Amino acid sequence: MKLIAHSYLNRKAAFLNGVKVAHADSEQPNDFLKTYYRELTIDYPKFHKMDALSKSAFISDYLLEPFYADLVDLENKLQLVFANNDSSKQTDLKYIDSYEINNNPSPSLFVYTLPNILTGEISIKHKWYGENCFFILPAFDAQFFADQAMFSFLRGNDYCLCGWVEMNGSENEECFLFLLEKSADTFEIEQLTTLLKSYRNE
Amino acid sequence: MKCYLKYGALISPLGTTIEDHAHALLSNNSGIKQVEGSGFNNENWFLGKMNELSGDYDALLEKALGSLQSIWDAEILKSPRTGVFVSTTKANMRLLPGDTFESTRTLIKKELHQEVDPVIISNACISGVIAVNVAADYLKAGKFDRAIIIGIDVLSDFIIYGFQSLFALGNQVCKPFDAERKGISLGEACGIILMTNEREEGVFAEYISGASSNDANHISGPSRTGEGLVRAVSKTLERAGMDITEIDFVSAHGTATIYNDEMEAIAFNRLGLEQTPLNSLKGYFGHTLGAAGIIELLSCMISMEKNTLIKSLGYLQCGTTQTLAIVEENREKELTTILKTASGFGGGNASLILKKVQ
Repeated sequence: MKLIAHSYLNRKAAFLNGVKVAHADSEQPNDFLKTYYRELTIDYPKFHKMDALSKSAFISDYLLEPFYADLVDLENKLQLVFANNDSSKQTDLKYIDSYEINNNPSPSLFVYTLPNILTGEISIKHKWYGENCFFILPAFDAQFFADQAMFSFLRGNDYCLCGWVEMNGSENEECFLFLLEKSADTFEIEQLTTLLKSYRNE
Repeated sequence: MKCYLKYGALISPLGTTIEDHAHALLSNNSGIKQVEGSGFNNENWFLGKMNELSGDYDALLEKALGSLQSIWDAEILKSPRTGVFVSTTKANMRLLPGDTFESTRTLIKKELHQEVDPVIISNACISGVIAVNVAADYLKAGKFDRAIIIGIDVLSDFIIYGFQSLFALGNQVCKPFDAERKGISLGEACGIILMTNEREEGVFAEYISGASSNDANHISGPSRTGEGLVRAVSKTLERAGMDITEIDFVSAHGTATIYNDEMEAIAFNRLGLEQTPLNSLKGYFGHTLGAAGIIELLSCMISMEKNTLIKSLGYLQCGTTQTLAIVEENREKELTTILKTASGFGGGNASLILKKVQ
């Protein structure tokens, strides 16, 4: 398989293929997703309804858009493979507050208490009808994603948009997306780990 | 590489063994009852609530895992060639604000002596069907020889209040596809399917193929056209190299909401499945979310083993704009090929085909 492109964002900045494309106002750490949305001049009103998990995946996917143009039949042949450790915990806690504190269970928060909602948001954005799966993983695992992509290609898909997306309210919030294409090329799985480390400045 | 299926475990309001469930399903007993004060404003919702272990995710998982030792010996259960797959939407919510999935990993290690972390799938209501598809991927690629596929979710205020806030709960035992359907009855359960690449004792179904799709339409409302479900089933058939006429029976999702059941009826008609016997098992278990796909597949296996179509409980009169061949009474039928489908929040759809081992 082949790595076509990758994007990354955390509380400090957003990147496409290793190049910084937006940076966040350090005075407003909670607004970094909104800052990227503005800086990148994205226009997608539904964005404002999303929770942080979907917003971060949406922006990271937006960055990859230029690379979708040349690919064939993404509508059917692209699979979404996403994972994180904390599922939708941040939204879960907000939703619990809606009934425990505000005495009014919020349906608009409840619908985001499933991590795979973000794959729905991305599918809606592009009108992609392909395969989707969301996994819970203790930490980013390059081999795991490579395995899923290999299975996906064996099943007949041509592309995999993979994402490690952790928006849990901690300092370490991040979203790392990478687009893989089916090909005979040998793929160095470890390059994914190296990429993520360099994005994290580890 | 072939993937064969056999019973693992099944714990729900209908019982704690496969035999209990075979009896309950063939007797058309529902596990759903009215539960006083279960709603946010103390409404008495209809729930598939267990008498014991209700809401206790860890105890339920532990009990289900404990019953596997009578099927596979300890060496197999702990083998690095055996993979563990878990389908759950919320896992153990009592652990919040901590890691709600942590006890899943710990209990699997403790009960099975597994050293490798399970593969956890959290993809809303289609998680169970996807978990079986993913487990088959691993076996077909030679990564594992066997798989333990667990589907589990328990009732909580979180889930009940959430579905209530969406006006998705019905004030009656759910009636999938019926004209009088008013919404979901929620439930809780744990089911375990065992998958193996060898035709060992106890296997009687073969996994043929599976697929998933997205409606690309709405995050919480079903598609009006059934497009995603049509694509998932078409892909599943294509991968099986099978024609729609080869399907003997459809185990549908059928949640009993107005829009979901309508969407499924449209999709199954578009697929040419309107004459194929079809049921929803939600009238027996309620909607058990991450457990649903697994416990419904186990029920399909019971149906297959007994060569009996199981009545779609709660159905009396067609309530969708397009008709379906809903199973109205139990009846004998040689069941060779079964199609299982699921649809859920996030716009996801998934399906798979099982074939009886001859």
